[in-house]
Amino acid sequence: MKKRMMIAAFAATIGLVASACGGSSEKLYLFNWIYYIPDDVIEDFTEETGIKVIVDSYASNEEMYNKIVAGGSGYDIVVPSGDYVSIMIAEGLLEPIDTSRLANFGNLDPAALARIGFDPGNRYSVPFMMAAAGVSVNRTKVSGYEHSWNVFDRSDLGGRMTMLDDMREVLGAALKSLGYSVNDPDPAHLEEARLVVERWKPNLVKFDAESFAKSFASGEFWVVQGYAENVFIEYPEDRRDEVDFFFPKEGVPMYMDSFCVLEGAKNADAAYRFVDYMLRPDVAARVADYLMLPSPNVPARALMTVTPNYGFDDLAAGEFKEDLGQETLKLYNDAWRRIRVGN
Amino acid sequence: MNRPGDRAGGGALGSVREPGGLYAAPATLWLTVFFLAPLAIIVAYSFLTPGARGGVEWTPTLDAYRAIANPTFAKVTLNTILVAIGATAVTLVIALPCGYYMARSERQTLLLMLVMIPFWTNFLIRIYAWIAILGNEGFLNDLLRALGLVDESVRFLYNRGAVMLVLVYTYLPYAILPLYSTIDKFDFSLLEAARDLGASKLGAIVRVLLPNVKGGILTAFLFTFIPIFGAYAVPLLVGGTESYMLGNLIADELTKSRDWPLASAISLVITLVTTIGVLLLLRANGASTLGGPAGEASADGAAPEPAVGGAR
Repeated sequence: MKKRMMIAAFAATIGLVASACGGSSEKLYLFNWIYYIPDDVIEDFTEETGIKVIVDSYASNEEMYNKIVAGGSGYDIVVPSGDYVSIMIAEGLLEPIDTSRLANFGNLDPAALARIGFDPGNRYSVPFMMAAAGVSVNRTKVSGYEHSWNVFDRSDLGGRMTMLDDMREVLGAALKSLGYSVNDPDPAHLEEARLVVERWKPNLVKFDAESFAKSFASGEFWVVQGYAENVFIEYPEDRRDEVDFFFPKEGVPMYMDSFCVLEGAKNADAAYRFVDYMLRPDVAARVADYLMLPSPNVPARALMTVTPNYGFDDLAAGEFKEDLGQETLKLYNDAWRRIRVGN
Repeated sequence: MNRPGDRAGGGALGSVREPGGLYAAPATLWLTVFFLAPLAIIVAYSFLTPGARGGVEWTPTLDAYRAIANPTFAKVTLNTILVAIGATAVTLVIALPCGYYMARSERQTLLLMLVMIPFWTNFLIRIYAWIAILGNEGFLNDLLRALGLVDESVRFLYNRGAVMLVLVYTYLPYAILPLYSTIDKFDFSLLEAARDLGASKLGAIVRVLLPNVKGGILTAFLFTFIPIFGAYAVPLLVGGTESYMLGNLIADELTKSRDWPLASAISLVITLVTTIGVLLLLRANGASTLGGPAGEASADGAAPEPAVGGAR
């Protein structure tokens, strides 16, 4: 899968270079997550509209944000996660978006739009994909568990379970298991959540965001918290039914990545055309197939040819991770540091 | 490098007098740009206020140093020191006889090649190889189960022992090479002389060989201890929930907590502690001994080549 993406990325780079030599003058500068939109989708856009798309990619919100703040302007579209959408709105880095100019905006699931807290009413952002980390269980090794965070209380699985090395995901899981919000600013609730993680910790081999999927695929770990796409890329295709991927019933921290137009974008018209193109059901379906994720684009779901790793309804239990603000972030950092270092 | 004798000889050649500064210019420039300048940035950042989303704001503060006073950091530092001292000690104990054997062997080139073979493979791939060997479903457990020695697989990985094992494995060549290079220059007839004068076999090694290769041991210690003290990837990949080291703490403060001043302050404290430690160690051993045979045997002006240079 990864290899396929790399080949595709390489082919597209060549394609872009080739198309850059064409005659059209209209351009669009897209700053996007790496391996997020298949390159043929972008090539087809250029073919349809004559607009050349120059793509630059990033691997984390921080990387994207630092580059924009450091003056890496010239981009028209960025694709931040929700917490960074609100940060960038507050910092005045985004141009308001007139959704009435997007004919396909109505394709987006109203239920998903209603849950957006980082930009209510989508004044600055147009949703692209949403997803969440869940729990993967190796069915051949583990039985008698619930679809709940309490699986990490199973001391008989000690040494066979991992959680992500990610503050928001682990504390978010603990907060959800207590019935609190994943963005809860209350220090008392956070302390309770920390104690929950401390209770889970003796049963965990490690906090791992790097190689857990490999070790899960090899049978080394039996219960792992992580993103479905990571796990399924590593797991042998013919034995996928051994994996029970689920979102715990108490809820999960979730993210949504959205298209945003940068303040002062020179090619705003081209940006509108591109976002509208991405919202077209056939295009959205191609992207969702490629990522094996459920689409927030309602008519696209019927057009998908790949069965996604989970259904859109499964995300009902999710809650968007939002920007915590400096003060609360410090509380989270302190709690996480105590967990990681041990007391 | 500049011995008094050289200087006198250089004078006779006139125009090429003291070319050392010129020779060293590329290295000086390199270190200034890529070591001193970043170090200056780290020093400056450690006294500033963390920016809202990473980076720094230009308001001076001592907050980062106040945060270091927290017992959490003492705990990580203690864990790091324990792992580093333990792993370094084991490395030296293995490397010393190995270097001795290599120095006495007639197939030195072959043995040197064998020691350096691991460098041909990427460091991370070698760590993953250890995971494949030691894992619950790894080769070693498969073997133990096949032999009927255990029923349930033994958990070798994801604890402090695994971290130390892989660190010892990784840094062993860095200890063997300077030790070999120093022992190689040792005059082994001194051992015979010691035996003739009534020393036991062990006594000759402890009282004659070891003091003479002290410089090599010191170099091996520094080459091993300092990188292990800043280890990051090994505890990350084969460590468990309790194997957090200073290197991981710095990385997390920088990338996850986004507190650049705190990360800078921790790095700076490590740099200071290692520098002071090295200086004290050098002074205790006599500054001239680093990398060269130590003690009276070499004090007579035999001026041996520094072992460090030889090892590289």
